Amino acid sequence: MAKGEIIAGFLAPHPPHLVYGENPPQNEPKSEGGWEQLRWAYERARASLERMKPDVLLVHSPHWMTQLGHHFLGVENLSGKSVDPIFPNLFRYDFELEVDVKLAEACCAEAAKAGLVTKMMRNPNFRVDYGTITTLHMIRPQWDIPVVGISANNSPYYLNTKEGLSEMDKLGKATRKAIEKTGRRAVVLASNTLCHWHFHEEPALPEDMSQEHPQDYAGYKWDMRIIEMLRQGKTKEVFKVLPQFIDEAFAEVKSGAFTWMFSAMGYPEIPGDLHGYGTVIGTGNAVMEWDLVKAGLASKRGAAKKPAARKLKKAA
Amino acid sequence: MPVVGAYLVPGTPLPYLVQDNPPWTSLVAGYQKAAKSLAEKKPDVLLVYSTQWIAVLDELWQTRRRVQGLHVDENWYEYGDLPFDLRIDTKMAKACVKGCASVGVKAKEVDYDGFPIDTGTIVAANFLNPDGKIPMVIAANNLYHDPGLTEKLAQMAVKTANGQKKRVAVVGVGGLSGTIFRKEINIAKDKIASESDDKANKKLLGLMRRGDGAGLKKYLPDYAGAARADMGMKHLSWVMGALRWRFSGAKVHAYGPTYGSGAAVVEFNK
Repeated sequence: MAKGEIIAGFLAPHPPHLVYGENPPQNEPKSEGGWEQLRWAYERARASLERMKPDVLLVHSPHWMTQLGHHFLGVENLSGKSVDPIFPNLFRYDFELEVDVKLAEACCAEAAKAGLVTKMMRNPNFRVDYGTITTLHMIRPQWDIPVVGISANNSPYYLNTKEGLSEMDKLGKATRKAIEKTGRRAVVLASNTLCHWHFHEEPALPEDMSQEHPQDYAGYKWDMRIIEMLRQGKTKEVFKVLPQFIDEAFAEVKSGAFTWMFSAMGYPEIPGDLHGYGTVIGTGNAVMEWDLVKAGLASKRGAAKKPAARKLKKAA
Repeated sequence: MPVVGAYLVPGTPLPYLVQDNPPWTSLVAGYQKAAKSLAEKKPDVLLVYSTQWIAVLDELWQTRRRVQGLHVDENWYEYGDLPFDLRIDTKMAKACVKGCASVGVKAKEVDYDGFPIDTGTIVAANFLNPDGKIPMVIAANNLYHDPGLTEKLAQMAVKTANGQKKRVAVVGVGGLSGTIFRKEINIAKDKIASESDDKANKKLLGLMRRGDGAGLKKYLPDYAGAARADMGMKHLSWVMGALRWRFSGAKVHAYGPTYGSGAAVVEFNK
C-alpha cells in the first residue's frame, strides 16, 4: 500500500444560512437566496476539490462538542434529518453519509497513542451535528466521498486556550499519521468561523442582505489581518497571534478545527488561496484553500487507492 | 393560581441510561420520589427549563403540540438511546412567546418536525412525567441571558399560567458542580471530582434545605465560580424566579456524582 497523504486543507465554515441560501433538495426550508459571496466562494472550492479527487474528507466540527476526549464517527452509514437547534427555521436537512470507518479507527488509535483520550462513536442512531453536515454539503454536495467526522473536545473552553489547542495539535499530528498509514489521499476541513461576534436578533427575512454586515468592526479588522497573513503564507505568525485573535474577536477557531487542520498539514508556510469572505448574522467567514500538491508538499500521483466508495449519488 | 411544585433535577443522561450503576441508583430513586410527589400535586402544566437547550438568538419556546422521537446523547451515546414523547401546552407556550416582550426579550416559537430536543429535557420528562400525562411548556437557555433575566422569564411564565388559571409545577434541569473526569473511569466507582466541589455542593444544598433564600442568593455567584456550576445555575434561577425566592425549605431527594460532576434531585417546599 502506498503511503497516504494530505493533499489539501480548507477553511470551511458552517453557517447553515449558506445551505438555506442555496436551496438544495435536501433542505426543507426555501429561501430567496442570500450570502451569495460566500456561496460563490464555496463554488470555487468545490471546483478545486473536484480536480483533487480525494479518497476521503475529514472534518472537525465545533458543533459536536464532547466532554470526555476526542470522538470519531464509527458507523459506516449514517442518515437522518438534521435540524439546527439554533436556526431550525433555516436548516432541516435530510442527510446520508458514508464514513471511512477504517481511517476513523486509525485516527482514533493514533490519537490515543499520542496520549489523548479518544472514543469511537458506534451508535447507529446518532444524529450527526449540523456543523459537520453544512461543511460537507457546501464543499461536496454530491455526498459521494467517504468522510471522517471528528468531535471538538471542549478542552480549549474547559481548560484554557493554550492547553486545549495543544491537544488539537496532537490530534492533527495523529490524524496525519493515520492518513499516511492507511494509504488515503485526504482533504482536511476545518469547520470554523473567524470572528464570532454575532447579532442577537435575526432579521425578519433572514436572507435580506441589506441587514447583513460585520457585527463588530474590531473583529472585522482582526479577520482581515489573519486572512492577509494566511494569504502571504505567514503561518507561524498567525499561530503566534492566534490566542489574542481568539480573545479579542471571540473567534470560533478556539474550538480547535483550525489548529487541527494546520497541524495535520505540518503548518505549511505557503500562501492560502482565499475563495471568499463574508458575514453571516455578523460573524466573519472565510473559505480558504491550501493545495499541498501545488505547493510541492504532496505528490501529484493519482489516488493511492480507489476511493473506498463513491456510491452515494445524491442530487447536488 | 399557585405554583404547586418546584424541582431542581439533573439533566445528565447517565442515571437514566444506567439505572443500576451503584453510584447513580440514589439519583434514580430521588427522581422516582420527585415523580411521585409531582403526580400527587396534580399540576396542569410543567414549566421546564433545561441548561442543555441552548439558544443564542432570541428566546425559544417549544410550541409543537406533540414531540416524539429518539435522541442519542452526543457524549454518552454508548449507553443507549433516549426515546421521548412529549405533549406541549401549546396555548400557554404561545402566550409565553408573546409575554416575553413584557420583560424586554424577543422570542420565537419552535414548531418543527425533527427538532433536536435536548438530553436534559428528555431525561427530566421521562423520569418525572413518564406517561407524558402532564402537558409541558419548555423554554430554552439563551446563553446571553443572565440569572436575573432568567428569573424574570420564569416569573412571566408563571404569570401567564395564572392568566390561564393553570396550576403549574416548575422544573429546572441541570447539574451542580461541573467538573467531570477527563479520563475514562470505572463508572461503578464514580464520585464527586473533588472534595472542594463536594463541600460546595453540600453547602448549596444545605441552604436550600433550610429555606435560606437570602443566603442562597448571596452564595450563588461564589458557588457558580468555585464549583464551575452548570451554566452558572441558571436552572436554579428559573426555579427561584417562579417562586420569587419564597420557599420554606427543601427536600433533597438525592445527591450524587455523575462522572465527577454533582447532581441532585431537590423538591422545594412552600
